[in-house]
Parts: sequence; structure tokens; C-alpha cells
Amino acid sequence: MSRILNLSLSRRQFIAAGAAGSLVLGFRLPLAADTGAGQSNGVLNAFVAIDPGGIITVQSPFVEMGQGIYTMMSMLVAEELGADMGSMRTVQAPPGAAYMIVREGERFTGGDESTRSAYEPLRRAGAVARHMLVQAAAGRLNVQPDTLATRGGYVVHGASGKRIAFGDLVADAAGLDVPAEVQLKSPAEFQVLRKTQARLDVPAKTDGSAVFGVDELPDNVAIAVVRQAPVFGGTVKRMRPESVTGMRGVIAVEEVPNGVAVIADNYWRAAKALDALDVEFAPGPAPHFTSEKHEQLLRGKLDTRGATAEEAGNPDGAFAGAARTLEMDYVIPFAAHATMEPMTCTALVTHDRCVVWTPNQGVDFIVYAATDVTGLPAEAVEVHTPYLGGAFGRRFMLDFPTQAITLANRHKGRPVKLIWSREEDTRHDFYRPMLAARQRAALDKDGKLIGWHSRIAGMGPYTQVFPDEVEAHGWDFSVMQGMLELPYRLPNRRMEYVHVESPAPVGFWRTTGYGPTCYFKESALDEIAHAVGSDPYEYRHELLADAKRECAVLDKAAELAGWRKKPFRKNGTRRAHGIALHNAFDSINAQVAEVSISDNGTVRVHKVYCAMDCGLALNPLNVIMQMESGIAFGLSATLHEEVVMRDGRAVPGNFHEYPILRPDEMPEVEVAIIDSGAKIGGAGEIATCPVAPAVCNAVFALTGERIRRLPIGTLV
Amino acid sequence: MTELTINGKRHELDVEDDMPLLWLLRDELKLMGTKFGCGIGVCGACTIHLDGKPVRSCVMPVSAARGKSITTIEGLGDGKLHPVQQAWIDEQVPQCGYCQPGHIMAAAALLESNPDPSDEEIRQGVRNLCRCGTYLRIFAAVRRAAGRAGGDS
Repeated sequence: MSRILNLSLSRRQFIAAGAAGSLVLGFRLPLAADTGAGQSNGVLNAFVAIDPGGIITVQSPFVEMGQGIYTMMSMLVAEELGADMGSMRTVQAPPGAAYMIVREGERFTGGDESTRSAYEPLRRAGAVARHMLVQAAAGRLNVQPDTLATRGGYVVHGASGKRIAFGDLVADAAGLDVPAEVQLKSPAEFQVLRKTQARLDVPAKTDGSAVFGVDELPDNVAIAVVRQAPVFGGTVKRMRPESVTGMRGVIAVEEVPNGVAVIADNYWRAAKALDALDVEFAPGPAPHFTSEKHEQLLRGKLDTRGATAEEAGNPDGAFAGAARTLEMDYVIPFAAHATMEPMTCTALVTHDRCVVWTPNQGVDFIVYAATDVTGLPAEAVEVHTPYLGGAFGRRFMLDFPTQAITLANRHKGRPVKLIWSREEDTRHDFYRPMLAARQRAALDKDGKLIGWHSRIAGMGPYTQVFPDEVEAHGWDFSVMQGMLELPYRLPNRRMEYVHVESPAPVGFWRTTGYGPTCYFKESALDEIAHAVGSDPYEYRHELLADAKRECAVLDKAAELAGWRKKPFRKNGTRRAHGIALHNAFDSINAQVAEVSISDNGTVRVHKVYCAMDCGLALNPLNVIMQMESGIAFGLSATLHEEVVMRDGRAVPGNFHEYPILRPDEMPEVEVAIIDSGAKIGGAGEIATCPVAPAVCNAVFALTGERIRRLPIGTLV
Repeated sequence: MTELTINGKRHELDVEDDMPLLWLLRDELKLMGTKFGCGIGVCGACTIHLDGKPVRSCVMPVSAARGKSITTIEGLGDGKLHPVQQAWIDEQVPQCGYCQPGHIMAAAALLESNPDPSDEEIRQGVRNLCRCGTYLRIFAAVRRAAGRAGGDS
């Protein structure tokens, strides 16, 4: 019944994946009709259980990786149930069909899908539970159900003033029929949603008790560290385990997919032995690959016609009849996820069971990896998901779980916790792909934009993960997303994709294609505006005449900033504004960056003014926090991040070689939320998108120099 | 045998002198609140106090802690929430949360040495990395813990 979109590991894809069988994504199962009702233990349905003490536990299909989703899952249930947030707990739901609520029966955490996917089913689960509690109370009080309300964890009978706690009703309620239909509240009636709620995970994350993947402590756990073939797709040529024989704490030295591992009783002892280990690797198929040469290749490919992802009107005619054309090329480099918690997975295998404790972005993927390695049936696999120390798309991948389960499978009965070093983490990532883009604009004699042409060269993660779909389309959606169905009035347009194979593995990196396309598109729009002597904000405003929501968001960002077309002086610095807008994940975001440049060429972003329309802001403070986070992430990549590749391998290892945004570089952020009432959009990723073009456009306003390649680094 | 005082409790441990305190805390004593981020003393996720001073435990050998008092996130509040931890909750700082114990330890030490830091001193005094970008809320929480409530600058 499952369709597993596995990589059919051709040689080419194997190389790209970096580790054997390591890349599996996208279980698609029909949504189970079974809601699990009628069970004991206070379970009212697959999502909601209430204990006799009134504590309400929500099973979350989604992992908590910093985005605040555990709080949101509880909020959705509490809203319809009539419960206080203080009684709510969210835990990770086990694997299984009941929790595959993303799109048409999938389950993963990413792509800003979680809140959008859960908005209806989790409220419904709360409403179903409420209905059953009310029925139970009606029986107990001998009144009509429609005379009862729920409030603060009680079923309340207004006329008599009687009330019964949920916990006292749950045993009765669990035996009742599940209603076929329930009425959900309208947004105007919300009591919990659309109001700021404190995050449920914050207390444990301040007192040190929150358990992350590296903190898992099954009895007698051993620690494993790995060194992987430095050249992508390389193999172990020679290893002499005896070179570390007798070193204190060492339990085993073994090959694992993509490298070698040392297992010891302590991370440091394992790492020390790994340093001393005599091991030699054979290079992979592209030992001379460099990112510099790859960039040249991508730039060259911009001269070739690509596959058409979108076309409208008559772009060729527009360019043929143009009074003037502009051609604008941009490049973004490979970038790493650099989660603060390095890749880690703990596994225990016995003759008939496999237990895995691991940060992941889809528990069912972990089940797949476990059955693949151990040969055990899926029913024999148990997955525990702790808090994730960041993910940003990296923890979709199954390379590190496969390694840990492989080790545990050889050491049956002993749990093994694999922890990658920071260097391994940076050098064996699935990177944001390097992409080159050419934007062309056709202008008539009055400077009116009459034709638009985008061509992007590279390869996205979909080419690795969904090769059939990419082949069927002829282009990779994970590259082109964000350049399609633009809100701007561009009647004659063509968007093209030129496939260029990436010898370095690529993956999903917060925003996937939306961030890069925003940089290409919004930089180009800025150039066009300047070329025709227009104000970049007003120019966009005019092009958005058919897009009211986008226009409102753009206007709000400009209003917050007190938009200035020209550079200005403030607090002793010469500053300028840059503006950018983007649509992604059903949301709309616009930002104005206020930027200065110091004498030594350092770009300083003082403040980012951010306007956000995600339909309804269900937890306003958390939306603001995601704006701050997204802006920091985007600015980090804009200023600093690049994984240089040389000799077939990633060069930077630790944070001194791959710097991320420092505290002193963090701009002030001012957010305006526009509750447009439109369909719910995502908030976790979009704010990362406009930062790069907003900052680069401000740099242009200050210097007249266009930033055509990221990161900005230091201006000379 | 090495004798160490950790969160007010004396421990006798048979460990190598050059083992970093981080791995002594985590893998020998199972005190998991102190986090591993980089292993080279750059990111600060492993920040603890040694005689009240902030140190990066991933590069601080056991031998350097002899005769000194170690405090970790588990012992910071001495059984209750330290004012910095309370400020962290009030300002809703953590997102993924992984780096936050290190940030909290660093902030507590910062305020110990400078109880009334200016905004600029806070901005320059926070030296740990956070990939979720919670820096603004960290600044606000430090300000709040210093007795200047009302967070955002």
C-alpha cells in the first residue's frame, strides 16, 4: 500500500547521495480512516488523549526543530476542545498511517507544511474529543448536550452552574461513538488561536532538561564517531584497526556506509582513537571537482536554451521588439545547514526489534532505514524523536541514521549513539545547490517592462529525491519554485531551467528554491527600476497593480521603514534602504533592509523592517520569532556562507572556516503582521528569502555596485 | 583519581587529565545539559562556569579544573530558576534550544562581572553562536535579567 519514493540508486545518484541508500523521502500512504477511538487510557482519537488528572496530550505528526510546532499542535486542539494551554502537552506521534496528514497522505516536517496541514485535522480532532466529552457529561448530568459548553478543561452546564472536569469524563467518553461530523469554530470565534501563546518547550529549553538527539541515554549506550571518505562518493581503501588497539575505552573499529567508525565508551576517547586510526580513502568519481570550475560551467550554461517551466504571452516577440534590453547574471554558492546539534542517531537492535532515537524530519523514513539495514519488519521498529537541535532540511536525509543502525545491528543488544564531529557535519552535508541565473528584461521606448526572461542553471534536490517527477516535467521544481506564477504584471515571460549535474550532494536548505529565486528576481527588478530611473519601491508597487495582497505587504514594509529612495545619514553613518518581496509557502513577505558600509568594507545591516501576510497569524509572537529567525538565517548566508569545494571535497570544516551570523551582526527587526484572512500560509521559511536582495539592493543604493554573487563577504 | 566539585558536589573520577570537561560531564557523569557544538571552543554551546568564570568546556581539560568549582546549567539556579533563566522564559528566547544552555551560562557570567551592562556591552558581550538567530531575544533577556525589564530595543 505504500509508494516509497526511493532513489533507485544508479551510480550517478549514488555518488550524489554520498552514502549508500542514504536518501529516501516521501512515503505516500492513504490517510487512515481509523481514528483510534474507543481505546482505553483516555485516548479519544489518534491525536488527543486526556488523563484522569486532566492533562491533555496531543500526538504531533511533526517534529519540534525550533519552529514552535509543538505549541501550535496543542493550540489547535485546545481551541476546539475548550482547554487551557496550561493543561496541554505535545509529544511526537509514533510512525503510522493515521498521522500522514501532509498533502495526500504523507508525513514529514518541512516545506512549511506543518501548520498548513494540521490546521483542519487537529482542530477537528479537538472538536471530536469535545463532542464525546460533552455527550458523556450530558449523560452524567441528565441534560441535553446542547445545553453544555466546554471551558478551561471542564464541561459546564450554564443553567445549573454544574461542571465536570475533562479528566473525570474521559473514561465514559472513550467508550462513545465518534461523531461523523463536527462543527469547527470560525476564526472570529477563536479564543486560543490568533493570540500569543507562550511556547510549551521553552521551560525545558532553559533549565537544561530538554532532551536532544545527542542526549539520549539508553542503558549501557556506547558512543560512535565517524570519518567519512573526504571526496564525495569515495570509499575506504585501507584501514588498520590494530592501529588503535589498546587505546582506552575503544570497543570497536569498523567500516560503515561512506566511511569508518570508532565505537568507545566516551565521545572524546572515540574521537582520539579516530584521530590515531590508520585509514586511507579512495577518491570518488570526481576527484578534481572544484566549486570554482563548477561556477564557470554553470555560467556558461546560461547561454543555452533550457526547459520551459513557465511561459506566457509572447516573450520572444517582446524581446525582438524591445527598444532596450537588460541582461543580469547572478550566482549563489553551495551552502551548509550548520545545525548547532551535529548529525546524531542512537540505535539498539536485538534479534527481533530495532529502537531508534534520532532527530529526523519524518519518522516513517527512519522506519524505512531501519528495515532496510536490519531486515526486520516495520512493525518491529520503534522510533523516538527528541527535540531537534536545528534541522533546516538536513535531517530529511538518512545517511547518519543508516550508519548508526548499521553499527547497532552488528552489536546486538548494545545501544550505539553516533555523533558526528562538526568537521564531518560541514564536509558531508547535502548542500544548498550552487545555481547561476540570468535575468533578461525587455523595455519599450518609454522604459516600460514588456518582456521578462529567467534562466536558471544547476540542479536541485528534487533531481535526487524525485527523479521520475523531474524527468516527467523536464525541469526541477526545487530550483524554479519562487520564479513561477509571479504576482508582478509580466504578460510576456518565460522561465527556463538548464540542468547541470552537481558532483556535490545537494539537499533541502531552509526555503529550498524560494530563497535563491528571490535573490535573482528581486535583484533584477531593482536593476530594472534603476535603469529606467524609477524608485525601486514604487516600481514594484506599479507592477503589483493586479496583486492586492502583495501590494499591501510591500506598502507595509515601506511604511514601517519610512522608505527612503536615496542614501541618508543616521547615527553617524551613511545608510540606504533596499527592498524586496516574495511569495512562498502560501505567504507573502516584504522586507526593507537598512544598511551602511564601514570604512573597511564591512556591510552592516542595522535594521530589517518586515511585513508578513500568512493569512492568519495563529500564534502572533511565534510568527514574529520566525521572522527574526528567518532574517538571521538569510543574512548569515548573504554575508558569509559558502562551502568552497576543491579536490572533489568540501573544504571548510568548523565554524572558523564556515562562519555563520554572529550576535553582534544581528540587525534589529521590526515586524508587522497583516492578518488578511486568506488561506493559512507558512511562517518558518519565507523570511529567509527577501534578506539577500534587500541587503544587496541597499548596497547598490550606497555604492552603485551590484552584488552579483553571494556571499557579500567584505566589499573592496 | 581526579577530584572535582561539580554543582556543589564532590566527585572522584578515574579519567585522563586531558579529557575535555565537556565529555567528562556528558559521558562520565551523564549531565547532558551542556552541549557539544564545535569541539574547538568557537560556538559556546558547551559554556560552563569554572570558579564562576565562563569557560568553553569542549577545550578545557580536566586537569585545569582540579581544586576549582564547576557549575553547569543543571546547577546554575541551585534547585530553582536563576534570574537569567527566568528572563529567558519571559522573553521567549529559545527556538530549537540547543545552544541556549551555553548562552544562559555565558549571560549569567556576563552579568556577574558587569551587573548593569549597556545595550552595546550586551551586544558585544554575547559571544556564543545561535543558528536559529535568537540573538535579539537573548539581548532582551540579558537586559531584563539586569533589571531593565521591557525587552525589545
